[in-house]
Formats: sequence, structure tokens, C-alpha cells
Amino acid sequence: MTGGDAIMNCEDYRQAVAADPSFDGGAGHLADCSACQAFRREMLALDRTIGRALAIDVPKLVMPDLPMIDNVVALRRRQRLSKPAWFAVAATVVLAAVLGVRMLGSGIQYDSLADEILAHLQHEPYALRVTDQAITDARLYKVVPANIARMDHSAGLITYAQTCIINGNKVPHLVMQGEKGPVTILLMPDEAVAEAVPFSDARTRGIILPVGNGSVAILGERDEQLENIQKSILQSVMWST
Amino acid sequence: MQSNTAQRQRRQRFDRVIGEFHHDMYRYAAWLSRDSSIAQDVVQEALLRAWKSLDALRDDAAAKPWLLTIVRRENARYFERKRLDTVDIDNLTPAQSALLAEQPDEQLDDVRKAIYALEDDYREPLVLQVLMGFSTSEIAEQLGLKQGAVLTRLHRARLKLKATLTSGAVE
Repeated sequence: MTGGDAIMNCEDYRQAVAADPSFDGGAGHLADCSACQAFRREMLALDRTIGRALAIDVPKLVMPDLPMIDNVVALRRRQRLSKPAWFAVAATVVLAAVLGVRMLGSGIQYDSLADEILAHLQHEPYALRVTDQAITDARLYKVVPANIARMDHSAGLITYAQTCIINGNKVPHLVMQGEKGPVTILLMPDEAVAEAVPFSDARTRGIILPVGNGSVAILGERDEQLENIQKSILQSVMWST
Repeated sequence: MQSNTAQRQRRQRFDRVIGEFHHDMYRYAAWLSRDSSIAQDVVQEALLRAWKSLDALRDDAAAKPWLLTIVRRENARYFERKRLDTVDIDNLTPAQSALLAEQPDEQLDDVRKAIYALEDDYREPLVLQVLMGFSTSEIAEQLGLKQGAVLTRLHRARLKLKATLTSGAVE
């Protein structure tokens, strides 16, 4: 895993090293922090021990009776694309890119609010950083100003805040740390929904909850317990408009 | 004649792939199931399934994650069929104790018990990273998770192990 010079403090550095002791970013921080040097040595030693413990003895391989497979054909060498085929692929990629840019410029139409929210998460993957570092109150109040909602850190550990555009409206996009990973919260004072709208894709489970004249979307890993976060968010959010 | 040659080539390919990764298959199954006899059953089923679907493996360079995915699914099927409890983090079952007893290195007993005691969600990515050498993005793909979730689980797994081993709270 590679890291960047963005990692500057002990908390972030240790998070990264505990997730992957081979992490080689944060060299600038490491050079000046003897405590983190010791932590890294400790994690590397722990990993060597874990590795030895996991490498249990393996019994002799006993191959099961393998049935005859019909219609087996000799393996063929993988075919390389011919030059005309390469040109066709390249032309398709360029065309798709041009169309993509044009669609972005004119505003992509989504079938539903849930679809737009899921697509938005794909465009902002860096928001889903694992960290124990809360954003500052100043940052939170800048993204969630008093004229949109009243919210504070009592909702939980908020680690990301950014103003985004959903369905043409400015929306505070927050990330909290859940039990299974980062949880995304979108505060949408202008998006009214009649009732709770659950939605999901292959990796994400979410719900859009009606709150006053607006709504709040909460999304996490498929096995994340969103209910507790829902409760704390709903207690913390109060539309000002 | 041509068919016999194709069959023989297929079998040679299978033996080569399995010979290289059989240890990984068994160890992965053992750490998933925490039971050596279940692990052997799971590997047998996985071998059969891999044999039947070998033609789906386009590139032998991808054999390791392909085989481990099969092991993972067979393990899930096994527990689904038998409706076994998958988690008992407070006490070692007789099967888990037996698996530990098969391992001669007593110095590592406490570490193995602590790894047993990890929840499945934490133990599995740790095995894939430390034992199988997968990157966090590869683990995410293997487990169908986002990379952020994998990082969270690995981070928490190590801190739990560290805390357990430091406190000497291993039973």
C-alpha cells in the first residue's frame, strides 16, 4: 500500500499502519516521531507472529475422484487483437468519453433520487476514509450552516464534510465512522419524500428518511447497522427553514 | 485421440494449479471454519468444483484468488447445509481445541486462540492479508466490500489482537 504526505499526524499514521503494516507513506511524519516508529515496529512484529500462527500444518493432499469432463477442448493461445480491432476499441473509448463529458455538462438524468445518491458516492470515494480524526466544529458549521440545519458532534464521529450538488440543490455531505466502515449522510432540506425509501446496490445499503419538509439519506456497508446512526442523526438534525 | 490429449492436458493443468495452492486452500478453509475436519471436507468439495469449472479460469496467474473464492463459497455452503453455529468467540469448541492440538508450536497457541476469538468479519481479511498476501483492494474485491471497510476491519483486528495478547486474556 502506498500512502501520501497527506498523513501528517500520529492518529492517521497509526490507523494506516494498523490496517497494513507495510504502509510506506507518511515518511516525513515517521522520521520525526519516535512514538510512531515504535508503534510501527510493534505492528510489524505482531504481523510476523500472526503470520507464523496462521501457517498451520497442512495434511497431505487427497485428491477426490474427479469425474470425466465432456467436451474438453485443447487450450488455445490467447488471441491478440488485430490493428483494426484496436482502432475500433480506441474509437469507442474516445466516443464514450466525449459523450460522457457532454452528458455531465447537460446534467445526467437519474431514474430516482436513490440512483443519483449512489452515483454521487462513486464520484467521491475519497470521502470514505477510515479515521478517528473528527473534523473541526468550524468545518462542520461551514458545511452545515445554521440556515440549513442545526447539527453538532453529538450525532457521532464526523470525519468528512463537503457541500455537494444533489438534484440541483446544495446538500451537506457528511461521513461518520460506523461499525463496519464509513457511513455517508446527506442532509437534503429541499428533497421531500412521503415515506422512508430503502435502497441498495451490490455493496451499499441506504435509506432516505423524511425529515420535516426535507429528507436525510444514510448509506453504509451492506452489513452496517444503520438504525443506531439513523436515530442519532434524526435527533441531531433540525431544519432551520 | 485429440479428446484424450485434451483431457490429459486439462488434468495436468489442474494438478499444477492445485499443487501450487493446495496449502493456501486448506489453511483458508481451516481459519474460516476453525475446524480441521470441516476444512478437509470443504477443500474436497472445492477441488471438485474447481475441476468442473476449470475452463472458467482463463489465466493461471489468477488461480489463487479464484480457488480461494471457491473455498469461501464451499465453506458457506457447508455451514448452510449443516446449519452450524459460525461464531463462538468465548470458548473453544472441541474441534478448535483439536486443531490447535495438531499444531506442535505451543508458543503460538495463545496467538491462535486470540485469532480464533476474532469475529469472522475481522479474522477473514486478516488471513487474506497476512497469510495470502493480498492487498487491501484485492481483499475488498474478494469479500465484496469497499476498501475503506477492509481497512477498518484490519485496523480493528490488529488492535483487538494486540489488546488480547498484551492483557494475557486468552483462555
